[in-house]
Amino acid sequence: MSSPLLSVKGVTKKYGPNTVLNDVSFDIGKSEVVGLLGDNGAGKSTLVKIMSGVVDATQGEFFWDGKKIEGINREKTEELGVETIFQDSALVPQMSITRNIFMGREITNKLGLMKIKAMDAITAQVLDSVVTIEGIKSPKQLVASLSGGQAQAVAIARAVHFKRSLLILDEPTSALAVRATEALLDYLRQLKGEGVSSVLVTHNLHHAYQVCDRHIVMNHGRKILDVRKEDTTVEELTAAVVGGAEGIRRYRESRGL
Amino acid sequence: MSNNQPANKGPVLSAPQATEAITQVRRLSDKQPTTFIGRFKENLQFVRGRGSLEISIVLAVLLIGYITASLISPAGFAFLNPNNLSGVISQSIPVLAILGLAAGILMIAGEFDLSLGPAITFNAIVFIKVSESAGLWAGILAGIASGVFIALVNGSIVVFTKIPSFIATLGMSFFWAGASIFVNGTTPAILTTSRDATMVFLFAQDFGSFRSQLVWLVIIGTIAYFFLHRHKLGNHMFAVGGNESAAEAISINPKKIKLIAFAIFGGLVGFASILIAVRTSSMQPGGSATQDFTLFAIAAAVVGGTSLNGGRGSVIGIIVGAALIELIRNGLLLGRAPGFYITLFVGITIVIASIFNKLMEGKAR
Repeated sequence: MSSPLLSVKGVTKKYGPNTVLNDVSFDIGKSEVVGLLGDNGAGKSTLVKIMSGVVDATQGEFFWDGKKIEGINREKTEELGVETIFQDSALVPQMSITRNIFMGREITNKLGLMKIKAMDAITAQVLDSVVTIEGIKSPKQLVASLSGGQAQAVAIARAVHFKRSLLILDEPTSALAVRATEALLDYLRQLKGEGVSSVLVTHNLHHAYQVCDRHIVMNHGRKILDVRKEDTTVEELTAAVVGGAEGIRRYRESRGL
Repeated sequence: MSNNQPANKGPVLSAPQATEAITQVRRLSDKQPTTFIGRFKENLQFVRGRGSLEISIVLAVLLIGYITASLISPAGFAFLNPNNLSGVISQSIPVLAILGLAAGILMIAGEFDLSLGPAITFNAIVFIKVSESAGLWAGILAGIASGVFIALVNGSIVVFTKIPSFIATLGMSFFWAGASIFVNGTTPAILTTSRDATMVFLFAQDFGSFRSQLVWLVIIGTIAYFFLHRHKLGNHMFAVGGNESAAEAISINPKKIKLIAFAIFGGLVGFASILIAVRTSSMQPGGSATQDFTLFAIAAAVVGGTSLNGGRGSVIGIIVGAALIELIRNGLLLGRAPGFYITLFVGITIVIASIFNKLMEGKAR
């Protein structure tokens, strides 16, 4: 058995006196889609920020492919090929779609001047291939003029274009239209075939259940459930998200488990 | 549930396969313009609503009016008189435009520097003193270096303490005004022997209907255009000014970008200080001689479509904004309007331009 792609061990995060994450450990396997579930305030987003290197953990260790990572930060995740779609989509509204997608990773010539035509062409391709979005007229369009769903799609397109090993999606479907959501979930399955792992953070259990191989449920900063898809049901996941550890216990009791 | 659904429709939780409806959606990459004219039209479409095109139309209308008035009555409204073109237009517009570009680049990155005016005094005095003692080339270097130094001091305070740049640089503007008296004393610094033919040729030569300053504006404007709109660092400035946390999440370092913006600002202000010093041959310490430039430079940037909140602006817009302000000033002078009308009109222009910008923000397509 090879070692997991990313292994998180004993992560704790404190903001002042508040403990947002309490001793959380889990693995993300290679070519695995992991669902990270939980109600608001469960610590999902903080966990995402820590995994993508934007926020430092107060305590905890990280192993990449079995090797320990000293300090997970933005440079490190970039090097490892981890891409994140943040909930607050992290786009610059005053900039064009192309410039947002290539922000910080512009295609340039030797002088550092951007090859805008090439970037526009790639943007159009990426937008076409990733999610079906209607109403986007041109890669030159400003993000400010897009709807919430279209902007979300741009953020997804950016992460998808640059991902190499792990794609983290924080509530990616919250602003997407039904059809685009389905296309995105389809895409996650396809990624698995290409050997890319993904973490889907959502509180839409039905979306998670459709695509995830494994489900991790968080509650008040703790991991309360970590099960493979075969060993659980939507009902059990619902009970865990809504009722916490107590909810799981009651659900299992009611089923005579 | 209705009964007319197909019986073989799978379980609710399985995802549908890509349906025809999905694959038939218009593809973006097929609609990319391929011809030069197609690309030009597309560019024009997306430039619209970003400020510079609208303000250019206003400038064009104003220019047509001035030229018509001047052709009808060359004596009454001497706009096309070479003395006016080279003496007024070609000396004042480039200086304000370069200062506007400086302020604008900083505003795009999301910061202000209100010590611009006093910094001009300080830089000009440094330029004059070094030119007099060590020659022209050392003077030019010293003048620009002084500008970069002042801006980096201001910038470091803003970036590392996270004090709003409005407050920090307002304080520093008094500091630099005082510092100019400290290094020079209260008597004006004067260019004497060092103001030779080379210096005049470089910074204030009259070529008939234009002057050296205009050539510098063309050079600096071109470089600024390629830097801001085509270079990746310029792109990072828009990103940091537009949404700092988004830029940071994608591993752009906002502190570094802002300090670079401050340094460029300082270099341009230093250069403009040299133009001002050579034109007037002297500089009065204390900052009062150049304090108007602070707000006029920001005004030029705002009139040209630069956002007060950062993340939006263009080189062409800023240059046009500076030209518009100076042309209004020039037109009022030529029309023999009393002096106080000038600030009145410039004030109105600025307010209208910022209301206009506010309306444009978010509506830009």
